[in-house]
Amino acid sequence: MNEGRDSFIPNPVLAGLVGICPLIAVSKSLAEASVYGLGAALCAFALGALAPPLRTVIADRLQVPALLTLSSALALIYGLCARVYSPVIAAGLWIYLPLLAVSGLSLSTLRRSASPGRFGPDGQSRLGAVSMEALMFLFSAAFVGAARELIGLGTLTMPAPGMALPRIVLADFAPLRILVSPAGGFILLGFVIAAYRAIARVGGRKLP
Amino acid sequence: MSYIGVVVTSVFVSNALLTYGLGSVPGRGRERPGSLASALALTCVNALASFFLWAVHTLVLYPLGLGALDILFFTLLAVPLLKFLSRAASVPGGGLLSRVGAQADDLIVGSLVFGVALIASRGGYTLPEGLVASSAAGLGYWLVSSLLESIRERLELSDVPGPFKGAPAMLISTGLMALAFSGVDAAFVKGLTG
Repeated sequence: MNEGRDSFIPNPVLAGLVGICPLIAVSKSLAEASVYGLGAALCAFALGALAPPLRTVIADRLQVPALLTLSSALALIYGLCARVYSPVIAAGLWIYLPLLAVSGLSLSTLRRSASPGRFGPDGQSRLGAVSMEALMFLFSAAFVGAARELIGLGTLTMPAPGMALPRIVLADFAPLRILVSPAGGFILLGFVIAAYRAIARVGGRKLP
Repeated sequence: MSYIGVVVTSVFVSNALLTYGLGSVPGRGRERPGSLASALALTCVNALASFFLWAVHTLVLYPLGLGALDILFFTLLAVPLLKFLSRAASVPGGGLLSRVGAQADDLIVGSLVFGVALIASRGGYTLPEGLVASSAAGLGYWLVSSLLESIRERLELSDVPGPFKGAPAMLISTGLMALAFSGVDAAFVKGLTG
C-alpha cells in the first residue's frame, strides 16, 4: 500500500492568490512579466534561505524591520541588475521592481520562515517548498504575460538584454486590446483561476 | 493640475487598485473596508508614508545620485516610525483613534502603502501635490474596496458556477469596475478642474 504523502503543491498565484494585483499591473507583456516573475522568485528564494538563520541571531523585536530591510536590499539589488540587463524592461516595470520587497511571495516567505525547524508540519523542507512556489510564480507570471500580450496584441516580446527587445509578430492586428489594460488583466486572471480550479477539481486535488 | 484635479485623478483615473494593482482584492486582506476608521487609516498612512519617502528621495538621495536607494531608506526609517505611531495610537479604549491605529498597523507593510509612496516620490509631484495625491489614493482604494465588498456579499448569495465562486468572480468584477473607471479621462478631468 502506498503511504507516501501527496506531493501536490498548489500554485501560489492561481490557488493561493499570492501577489496577483501587482502581477496584473506588470504582466502586459511576456518580457516584463518574466523579469518581474524572476525577481519575485529570486527574492523569495533568497529570503527563504537567509531568513531562518537570521531569525536565530536577531532579537525578536528587531526581526520584522531587519527582515524587511533584507527584503528591500534584495529587491534593490535585483532592480539594479534588471536595469543593467535591460533598461527598457526596467523602465517599464517602474515602481514594481522596488515593490518586490513587499510582494505577496516575499511576505508569505517571511511568514513561513517564522516557524522554527527546517521542515513544515507536512514533512516537506521549507526551502524546498519556497523554491517550488517561487518557480511556479515565475511560470505563472510568464504564462499570464504571454497570454495577455498574445491575445491582446498578437505579439510576443522576448526578454532580452539591451535597448531593443525582439518581438514576434503573430497577428497584424490587435485581437483583443483590452487584455493589455489592467481591467483586461483582472478579467483574464479570473478566468485562468477558474480554469485552474476546474482542472484541479477534476484531478481530485484540494485547493486552499 | 489643481488640487481638485489631483484628487479626482487619484481616485478615479489612476486608482491605486484598479490602475496600479496596489493592495489586494477585498475578501482576502485583514482590513475591513467600508468603515470610517478604515478610510482614515488609509488616508493617514498613505500621506505619512508619502511624506517620508518624498523627503528622503527628493531632498537627500536624488541630489546625491542615490535615488534608487529610496526603498531601502524607507524600510529602515519610515516603516518602524509608522509602526510606532500606529501602535501608539491604538491604545485600548481609545475610540476612533484606536481603531484607526489598529487598521493602520495592518496596512503599513503592504504593496499599497509602499506603492503609493513610490508613486508620490517618483511621479514628479511637488510635496503638497504628493500629499494630496497619496491621501486621495487611499480614499480611492477605500472606495473601490467598499464597492467590491458589497459586490462580494451579493455574489455569495448568487448562483455562481463552482470554479468561479470566490476569487475568480471577484477578479472579474474588479476588472469590470476597472473598465468603468477607465471611462474617466485624465485630459477631461484636467480640462474640467484646471
